[in-house]
Amino acid sequence: MKLTKSKQNIFPMKYFYSIVILLIFGLQNLALAQQQIAVTGTVYDGESKKKETMPGVSILSSGKVLGQTDGDGRFRVTVASNAEITFKYLSYITQTIKVNNRANINITLQGDNTTLKEVTVTAGYQTKTRTLSTGSVTTISGKDIQGQPASDVMSLLQGKVAGLNIQNNTGAPGFRGSITLRGISNINVSGSGSSSFLTPTSPLFVIDGVPVDDNTNYSYGFQQAGPGVSPISQIPPEDIEEINTLKDAAATALYGSRGAYGVILVTTKRGNSKVPVVRYNGASFFSMVPQLRAVIGGRGERELRIMQILQNDSTYNHAVDLINSSPLLADSLNAYYNNSTDWQSYFYRNTFNQSHNVSVSGGDVAFNYKVGLGAFDETGIQQNTGYSRYNLNMNMQYNPTPKFKLVGQLQNSIQKQQTGSGNGLLNSGLAATGSASTLLPSPSLYSAQSGLLAQLGTDNDNKSLQTFATINAEYEVFKNFRIATFLNYTNGSNTKDNFSPAALNGNQSQYYTYNDRATKLYNRNQFSYVYGLKDAAGEDSHTFNLFAFTEINSSFFKADAILNERGVNDQLRGPLTNMTNYLTSLGGTIDYNDARSVAFAGAFSYNYQQKYVLDLNYRLDANSANGENARYIANPSIALKWNFNKEKFMQNIQWIDYADIRLSYGSNIQPVGGIFDAYGKYVGGDRYNNANSIILDLKRLPNLDLQPTKATTYNAGVDFSLFQNRFSFVFDTYYKQNDNIFRYKDISSANSFETVASNEISNVNYGWEFQTTARPLSPNSAFKWTVSANLAINREILAQLPDGLRDLIYYDKDLGQDIYYRLGTNSLSNYLYNTKGVYSTNAQVPVDPNTGLPYRVGGTDRLNYFKAGDPVFTDLDGNYVLDGNDRVIAGNSQPQVTGGFTSYLQWKNWSLEVNTSFTLIRDIINNPLANQLRNYYLPYASGSLVPLGQLDYWRSAGDVATYGNPLDFLRSRIIDPFRLNQTAFQEDGSYFKLNSVKVYYIFDKKFTSRFGMNRVSINATAANLGFITRYSGPNPENVTSLGRDDSGGYPSPRQFTLGLNIEF
Amino acid sequence: MMLMLASCKKNLPDNRLSIANDSQYTQFLYQPTLGRNTLFTNNFTYGNSSRPLDFKIVNMRTFGGEPAPELTKLLPVKVWKTAYDGTEKSLAEIEAKRVIESHPLFEVRPHSGEFLMWAEANSNMIKAQPDSGYVFDVEMSNTGGRKYFQNFRLRPLRERPYEPSPLDPVTGQGTSTSVSPSGLFISGVRTNQFLSSSDVRVVFNKLPKGLPGYSGHSISFKFVDTLAQVIDPNKFALTDWGNLVHGFNMVKDATKVKFDVAYPIPLTAYPTKYTTTDGGAARVVFRFDRQAFGAVLLHCYLALNFKIYEEGDWEIIFQFKNDKPKFDND
Repeated sequence: MKLTKSKQNIFPMKYFYSIVILLIFGLQNLALAQQQIAVTGTVYDGESKKKETMPGVSILSSGKVLGQTDGDGRFRVTVASNAEITFKYLSYITQTIKVNNRANINITLQGDNTTLKEVTVTAGYQTKTRTLSTGSVTTISGKDIQGQPASDVMSLLQGKVAGLNIQNNTGAPGFRGSITLRGISNINVSGSGSSSFLTPTSPLFVIDGVPVDDNTNYSYGFQQAGPGVSPISQIPPEDIEEINTLKDAAATALYGSRGAYGVILVTTKRGNSKVPVVRYNGASFFSMVPQLRAVIGGRGERELRIMQILQNDSTYNHAVDLINSSPLLADSLNAYYNNSTDWQSYFYRNTFNQSHNVSVSGGDVAFNYKVGLGAFDETGIQQNTGYSRYNLNMNMQYNPTPKFKLVGQLQNSIQKQQTGSGNGLLNSGLAATGSASTLLPSPSLYSAQSGLLAQLGTDNDNKSLQTFATINAEYEVFKNFRIATFLNYTNGSNTKDNFSPAALNGNQSQYYTYNDRATKLYNRNQFSYVYGLKDAAGEDSHTFNLFAFTEINSSFFKADAILNERGVNDQLRGPLTNMTNYLTSLGGTIDYNDARSVAFAGAFSYNYQQKYVLDLNYRLDANSANGENARYIANPSIALKWNFNKEKFMQNIQWIDYADIRLSYGSNIQPVGGIFDAYGKYVGGDRYNNANSIILDLKRLPNLDLQPTKATTYNAGVDFSLFQNRFSFVFDTYYKQNDNIFRYKDISSANSFETVASNEISNVNYGWEFQTTARPLSPNSAFKWTVSANLAINREILAQLPDGLRDLIYYDKDLGQDIYYRLGTNSLSNYLYNTKGVYSTNAQVPVDPNTGLPYRVGGTDRLNYFKAGDPVFTDLDGNYVLDGNDRVIAGNSQPQVTGGFTSYLQWKNWSLEVNTSFTLIRDIINNPLANQLRNYYLPYASGSLVPLGQLDYWRSAGDVATYGNPLDFLRSRIIDPFRLNQTAFQEDGSYFKLNSVKVYYIFDKKFTSRFGMNRVSINATAANLGFITRYSGPNPENVTSLGRDDSGGYPSPRQFTLGLNIEF
Repeated sequence: MMLMLASCKKNLPDNRLSIANDSQYTQFLYQPTLGRNTLFTNNFTYGNSSRPLDFKIVNMRTFGGEPAPELTKLLPVKVWKTAYDGTEKSLAEIEAKRVIESHPLFEVRPHSGEFLMWAEANSNMIKAQPDSGYVFDVEMSNTGGRKYFQNFRLRPLRERPYEPSPLDPVTGQGTSTSVSPSGLFISGVRTNQFLSSSDVRVVFNKLPKGLPGYSGHSISFKFVDTLAQVIDPNKFALTDWGNLVHGFNMVKDATKVKFDVAYPIPLTAYPTKYTTTDGGAARVVFRFDRQAFGAVLLHCYLALNFKIYEEGDWEIIFQFKNDKPKFDND
């Protein structure tokens, strides 16, 4: 079909001419009247030593507001060439300067220390001044976490934020430790033995305005299937501008769904210089194997075993026979048994590693950009483990007028990881081999220690590709009314290839290969409107702020894996399966998840002369994982703030910079379970009548009422700053109730279904948080010293269990270290035999008054009775027989007090930073010690022995000792004095840790500019230096989230770094 | 602020124990034998109740519903304080391990729910079978609540002062006056055949008070032949007389061997060299060697596993009723 050309001119030419003429003359008229020029520039903060830029500075000319500086302190205004412009900012001295035809003006505002210093706080997708922010937020600047290379940036925050409990419980490169904000929000335990772990409840991470959930899929590492790379680890610490931790509901309310465990905002750096700046941060670091577990080696081990048998066997003849019949002891000249092998040494090595980051940034207020290129390579201190990350992060901002802003961001990373034969966090092969007898020969293909061969021979290669792209556009439709949209697409792809050689698998190699794909589409559309009423004096008195948005989230995850068990030889690798069907190939889709969520949220904020602030937030969330009867969940919150230093009666008190009281209440949710838990699942069944059948999966009863976990928080806080910011203090107290905690519940077999997903558990955390900063030296001193300290006390109480139960026991099938849930006390209690020392003499053993028999275990054999040298186990039920009913609730595996101290001392070009952290009131079960003592049960069998000289153990009648007699091997197999589930091995896990010591030196600018460099600094950092602790194991932090020390854990290395930072 | 927190905490559940429905007694009929310490174990399953639990016997009554003060009032009983292990060197040392305390004769262990009866209970004061005995209830409680278990039956059996015993547990009457030894490897003089255990009668004889030399804590062993002629104990030449029983001040003459001992025998179920390997009974073995026809060396012995619950001067008489034992070489 032919296009018909319009005969009539839609836009007559005459109009065009009129407009052109009008425009030309109009502009000419203006130009004639006063030469208008565009002025751009940057406002710097004179208060900050590092010349930070200042956002939100008001720019006025002859009483008319022209605009304000953007988030990077830049501005662009159009004024007459001879005009005066005024820069105004609360608590800073207002400056007025003449333009004098300059197109670029940079200005530094000096603080007016007589009034409050304003800091901006970002929470709920909005940035507000500190005065108007009602939530409990702690901000850590990116500068505080520099100088220490880390595969995971969160580990650097340890001890810096009150209430954020970070336990760097693994030294495995690329894995992150456990993070909980204000106590645990989930009480479910999975797995058993050493690999039992608490369901992680990490806070929600929001990277540059886009939520990233870290609790999903296989990102935690314990789940064996995938590589376990944490999404947050793709951001190198060098790229981080600041990290905000949002703690109470007033701050997190607008994050609604998935904000129940707290929210951590990560803001990355932007370009902010007219002249392109090239920065290089490089570091090489040395990871040193820390102190490992002590064992007795070689001849010492043999002699101890022989002595043990000779002195403790029933008869001398039997002892000699026992020794002679075990070649390990008798055949001391046999090369196979005549060794002193330090098995742990074969697993560990010291490594040299490096990290490089180059970034180029530049631009002005209208357009700026930053490109960062990073490489991080860390070889793990365990053989065959390591992590490397290559990332390319870009962002650009286009801001042609104050009315319009476009931000684009792209983050790409490739992460590679090797975990050896373990899963990264745990290595059972290491646990077994590390505790092998030292008499055995050093590793070879024919020696017995397969754990080491597995570690060295397993070829494990994991890759993770992450792409994170965001576009953000903002437009001011009319004055004070802005609309904005965020669009983010995240794509992650992980692969894991694990090859296990034939020698380890009965002469047929094994090949496991896994790949997954995770995509997420996120969109948020928002508007904000500010309306103010002025009082008689012309000051802002009533200010109203309305903010609303909709949020859509669509995520997809699919993981496939295949295990080929019968490789032909070690050279032929790959999934070359010749299996005939799906079941024998052991492959397929192991996880599939397709979720949608939608939310509507609004925030209303009101303040009166900035004295009284009221925030109301409301958010409606719907999630496809929720049951049909629990579609939209409302999350309201209310917060009040009273800036009482602005009251009349406080105005004469000069030494108070600011002071306020905050109160808030609100709730958040976290979707739990999957769509199959709510709606059930159909699966393919057997063929019936020669037709395929589809049947209901009877494992899970659908629960249409399945609710998301809901956290309700009450928070009250006080902030003040004194003596011109030389002393500032924040106090918060909170009560946080987590309801609808998810758990599969076994149901009566009469239902034909096995389990149902239920939401019947609640727990409560309440506590107190203190955060303070002091600058004790005079501002005129050559030394600048800043000391910060924080302390958080958290109490956790279990408030509800399914079906109205008051007690519930989680049985640990491997180690018998059961977990006792009881209402009214801390959720995760250990259920242990209560050990109260050691029987010093036989007379101390209790006697049944009726039968005259001493206290005993089980049967009535002569060896079953307790005697001197045995541990004193409490006989709870008083029947003079020790059994499982005598265990007691003991201890709490979760820390109750956390905090840290930081000191920063600067003198001329030198600065010294010391970071410490502490964790108090926490119980750890020392399983490695127990297991090494248990090796004494069988003196003729292979196993490493703990040096007894270090232990306070019972030797002869009358000794008052901590540990029982390990040498009496005939009885110890029956009495089991070193059973793992006893309080003797539950130790105080409190520690004070020296996280890092950093020394910086900044070269003189005069000197470095000769080489074309603007700013050069070098630093030396020593990290993870040591602990002050009463714990007897090597590292009180290197334990599972349930407080179990395990010899298969990955120890945290000591790290020594030399860094170089250059800015061109 | 603190007030707010305090008001929130008020709604939290108390830290208290719980009582579950599956906590149950598995045995409701108890038939202890009077005159000895009896402990009933494994009679209760804790189920899901949280420990510790408290138990109390309530409403102890006769089968007819009358109160039973004889079982509830406190009486002096002998209780163990220190473990007996068979290495004691004197009667005083043994007695130092026991003290007299006041207890009801029938008790429940306060935290385990096990029942026990003290040896001081006898059929003179306690209704023994064939009487229908007693009925009682048990209260189980902890901080989580309480639960009652009702209508337990206590039907004591009459005393049998020694074991093995020919006495009927219900009537207390014997169908015979003797028992057989536990082991025997001795030939007869007349038949020259090995004797069977039915060829030997073992009689437990408690000497009455008032006899010369009565001590109340002794045991003696006598051997008599078919004609009630005393056999010299020294004929059992290889007997380990010093470790025969856990006794002291052995007096051995041509008619008997006598020890001062503490009762009951054995004192406890703890295995010692004076007991069977499981500690269930005292064991005495009388030995001698003889050369049989064809230069065969026979290790001959006579053994008895026994228990005696009543204090007194006891005699254990071994009577070879059908044939005399052959001590001489062939």
